[in-house]
Amino acid sequence: MEPLLNAGLRAALTGDVVYADVRVVSPHRYEHLAVRNGEASALTSSNRAGIGVRVRTKLAWGFATANELDEATARAVARKAVRAAQAAGRTSRTPLVVTEEQGPENGRYESPVGLDPFEVDRAEKLQLLTDTERALHVHPSVKSGHAQFQAWREVKWFASSEGVRYRSSITHVGAGIDATAVSGGEVQRRSAPTSFGGDYRQAGWEFVRDLDLPSLAPTVGREAVALLTAPVCPTSTTTLVLASDQLALQVHESVGHATELDRILGMEAGYAGTSFLSVTDRTKLRYGSEAMNIVADATEPGGLGTFAWDDEGVPAQRTTLVDHGRLVGFLTSRETAAAIGQRHSGATVRADSFHRGPLIRMTNIDLLPGDHSFAELLEGVKDGVYLATNRSWSIDDKRLNFQFGTEAGWRIHNGELAGLVRNPIYAGMTPKFWASMDEVGDASTWHLWGVPNCGKGQPSQVARVGHGAPAARFRGVSLRGR
Amino acid sequence: MSGDEARSLRLLADTLAALPPGADADARLTGGEWGTMRFANGRIHQPHLEHSRLLSLRVASDLRLGTATTTDLTPEGVKEVVRQALAIAAISPVERKFPGFPAGSKNPKPVAFSEATARLTPEAQGRIAAAALNAAHAAIPDSRVSGVVNAGQEFIAVANTSGLSRFSRRSVIQSSVLVERPTADPPVSGWSEGAHWDARELDAAALGREAASRVATTAPASVKPGKYRVLLGGSAASELIGYLGYLGFNGHGEEEGWSCLAKKRGRRTLPESMTIIDEGRSPYSIPQAIDYEGVEKRRTPLIESGVARAAVTDLVTAGRLGVSTSGHGLPPESPFGEWGPIPTQVRLLGGDAREEEMIRETRRGILVTRFHYVRVVHPGQSILTGMTRDGTYQIEKGEVTRPLRNLRFTESILASLGKAEMWGRAGRRYSDERGGATVTSPSLLTGAFRFTSSTLF
Repeated sequence: MEPLLNAGLRAALTGDVVYADVRVVSPHRYEHLAVRNGEASALTSSNRAGIGVRVRTKLAWGFATANELDEATARAVARKAVRAAQAAGRTSRTPLVVTEEQGPENGRYESPVGLDPFEVDRAEKLQLLTDTERALHVHPSVKSGHAQFQAWREVKWFASSEGVRYRSSITHVGAGIDATAVSGGEVQRRSAPTSFGGDYRQAGWEFVRDLDLPSLAPTVGREAVALLTAPVCPTSTTTLVLASDQLALQVHESVGHATELDRILGMEAGYAGTSFLSVTDRTKLRYGSEAMNIVADATEPGGLGTFAWDDEGVPAQRTTLVDHGRLVGFLTSRETAAAIGQRHSGATVRADSFHRGPLIRMTNIDLLPGDHSFAELLEGVKDGVYLATNRSWSIDDKRLNFQFGTEAGWRIHNGELAGLVRNPIYAGMTPKFWASMDEVGDASTWHLWGVPNCGKGQPSQVARVGHGAPAARFRGVSLRGR
Repeated sequence: MSGDEARSLRLLADTLAALPPGADADARLTGGEWGTMRFANGRIHQPHLEHSRLLSLRVASDLRLGTATTTDLTPEGVKEVVRQALAIAAISPVERKFPGFPAGSKNPKPVAFSEATARLTPEAQGRIAAAALNAAHAAIPDSRVSGVVNAGQEFIAVANTSGLSRFSRRSVIQSSVLVERPTADPPVSGWSEGAHWDARELDAAALGREAASRVATTAPASVKPGKYRVLLGGSAASELIGYLGYLGFNGHGEEEGWSCLAKKRGRRTLPESMTIIDEGRSPYSIPQAIDYEGVEKRRTPLIESGVARAAVTDLVTAGRLGVSTSGHGLPPESPFGEWGPIPTQVRLLGGDAREEEMIRETRRGILVTRFHYVRVVHPGQSILTGMTRDGTYQIEKGEVTRPLRNLRFTESILASLGKAEMWGRAGRRYSDERGGATVTSPSLLTGAFRFTSSTLF
């Protein structure tokens, strides 16, 4: 790839260009095997490759991309990136400033993979899905069963005009199941290990095998059926205990996106929105209770947001975002870190493919565990509800007003789980909600989730990010059934 | 025949020729030339130029389907994609009712297409973005302006072993503008968007001015959550209608029983004066002549004089439902293959009200410019939740009186459209960034719409 990288860099460094980087991805492999009601739902093998060139003039960025991997294309793409930057520069009067960074000259990173998911016999993988999907159909009212497996491998070469060069090969895998039960006008879905595709990890096939989906399937099917006739979740202001998978999404939506500095600085205003946070809130704003500690950790083993260097060539880091309830950090890039006077980027910049320019993306945004067992979280709850597995999520464009529905809820009565309830929805305002967290589960309740579907950017990008979360307890939350 | 068309169809013919004798398959090549000029804080901050090609091959081997895709269009790449698709098909469960690939060798009549739009230079795209920026700034000099201009073209070439060989192009320009006063307390903002297949018909400066005109000049007030008469601007109405397409007319939803219209087909479900159609070929949408299985697009009634018609289908769901495909096939590869067929060029008909008339008839209620982060709460009951954004106003005594803090709605689409009282004749096109899904919708007045909470701005 060296000739291609060099051709792109040389062609980019013309005229008023002060910086360039070239990303070549070859291959980007993807495999998706899915079975729905015994039939193939999406059996796809994908093999893509391409080049993306990013340049910076004194006034503007430019990015261009193409599929073909030859030196002539690399030069043509670089020239287009320069043209894009020049077109953009006509709207700008303020010079761009970025942080100074040290990256590797010859970096190498490879995901630790036990069993290569692309080498495991597809028939074996499909058999697992077929058997598992069949086991979801525990009752005639289960109208739809679904089992899926996905794997991605991105082999990337990066070179910048500042002399940074690395090669990385990152493999992500995961799987999930869901059952949809229908009766009359009622539709209920239950999923495992969690909803919207399951659980994912930077690992090999062994991770999928260890999920033990066949053993989860009958319970998933039975709970979907039971939800059809379960009582509707009561409406009240009450104590909630959130399961790890739901709390991971809460972290994602109300902390992860809110602390993206590009949002805070208005760079995403026209699409995803901004944030209730401002730059001056750092070290001052109380985000939540003393029990709230959140980090962005791109060095965490196995996370979907784990890497060695980001797409600006900056080494991966662990950054504290919330320390004992106080906001102390943001997710940053070279440009945004410089804009607020930070000396260095937090290295959270990634593109979802060679076809997209890099943006600030979550890495692994983790709520750190506390010291309470699950039983202790339930203790002291006279009446409350335990909620698990997201079903719907929505939050305003400053990440304040949220409303989340979960697939399942269980009444808590006198410290014990006391029966399933359906259609629970809880809602609140971000800082008030986090302030109500009075106890955080210990490591036995904590899990590192892989979320493969985080959308951001124009043109749209879908990032794979990680979230570690324990179970936790929240007091005085608005809850209703529907 | 254009160069793109000839090259694409030749590649597809070579791909199908590389299959073993007797194998059934369809192959498609999609490609695009796109420019995105994204602006924020008053300048273009993320310009993006993209050239893409993707070959997708779906093999049907003894009713076992397997799909593989590649960007490697060399003979070696073609051989490998054939090998992968065959290998996947060999292990795939049997798709018992797969109807086979359709015949049809001729290209359908071309749809409206703008060569000039397809070939807009980066400089021209930058000038369009600058026009939006400058117009918004001129209207409110101390505002913060953001937005995007997407422009370009996508082609689809499809060929199959039943003899079908077709090609279609789509030209698109899509733009949105957000104008904010972020330092106001609370912050206020206004929004405008539009799309067209012809760049000459999209006035970016007008979008900038319209967005600025929706920025509140006084501090927004709070109203109590509850049921209100609501005038949905075109953008907000298009979001509900788009979701109705997904929840009510998705062939998967019909097949699996979760469609919100599953038990309502053939019955009057919405007002008698309301008709909603999917019309892929219409110049009132972002037209496209064929779907991703090569089937010609045609006018498909979804709601006809208030009566819910059939769900849309692709080859797989048509086979399962025992009907013919309606021409709504998406690319069979993941993730599209998982979504199922959905209406992609939807248009609301039957109204003739003017905006002022609708404001007057709202009497007391809320004007919503736009929704944000809309998600499904209950698919079978078509219940959605989401926030209002970028221009929410109170209507009192038939006039827009004051800006409001944003509200969360949790409401059934069928219930809210069921109480629709008036809507406009002309509709603007509201499109995704590449024109793949478009809803052409005017503003719409509904007699009841439930807001469940409010936010701080």
